[in-house]
Amino acid sequence: MGGKCPHRKVKKRRYSHKTARLAKFLVKGDDAVYDELQQGEGDRKPLPLDEDLPGMGQYYCLHCDRYFANAAVRDEHFKTKRHKKRLKQMEGPAPHTQLDAELAAGMGMPDNGPKLMVM
Amino acid sequence: MRLEKCWFCSSTIYPGHGIQFVRNDAKIFRFCRSKCHKNFKMKRNPRKVKWTKAYRRLHGKDMTQDATFEFERKRNRPERYDRNVTENTLKAIKKIDKVRVDREARHHAQRMKGKKAQLLREAAKELDQSIHMVKAPAALQQEPSLTLPKI
Repeated sequence: MGGKCPHRKVKKRRYSHKTARLAKFLVKGDDAVYDELQQGEGDRKPLPLDEDLPGMGQYYCLHCDRYFANAAVRDEHFKTKRHKKRLKQMEGPAPHTQLDAELAAGMGMPDNGPKLMVM
Repeated sequence: MRLEKCWFCSSTIYPGHGIQFVRNDAKIFRFCRSKCHKNFKMKRNPRKVKWTKAYRRLHGKDMTQDATFEFERKRNRPERYDRNVTENTLKAIKKIDKVRVDREARHHAQRMKGKKAQLLREAAKELDQSIHMVKAPAALQQEPSLTLPKI
């Protein structure tokens, strides 16, 4: 992590953490991953080819929201402690949402009125 | 004007208060104060933080099921303004709030029942077990008139 910034003279600060900082916002939130996992195996689309991603975006870990260069690296990742921890977390109860917060505050379910359009 | 609820602690956010975070996938997270915002950034789970409403609800500290919870809702449809309806609503708010506060007080009283007796029992046990800290056992034996007060 962190690219080189050659113009910087202080040895400690020669690396930039800009990418790491930006990447923080690109990872999916816990609730988004959980929702996707709840969708089930069958509805999932095949992974699209993306040349910007490692391994053309073909080797993906859904739980950790990470792409890998090839199947071997991905399978290695499946064995890691971090992945297993994540797996356990995703099996547990659904992550906290705004709806949970509202119900805890003593509000009822949202009232959206009657359906206007019948599909 | 809409009174929102804090994502973390479920308290009401009045206009002009708190901060909101919009995630890359357009999900909105509202926070009532920097305390809640910081806790969110630390990725804490509100269900595991004791001072949040979510925790208190989950662990039976607060009332969970009540008919008064059905009144306050997020209504995602426009309401045509009607003076009479508004007047009645304002009247009802006071009444419903009173009912809810009373029920909450009753729930709290129910929950705290037997607490005083338990504290007394624990205190008596502590006194019994650690009397040697106050009076040396030898001194107690020399003067048998020194006895523990009965609780």
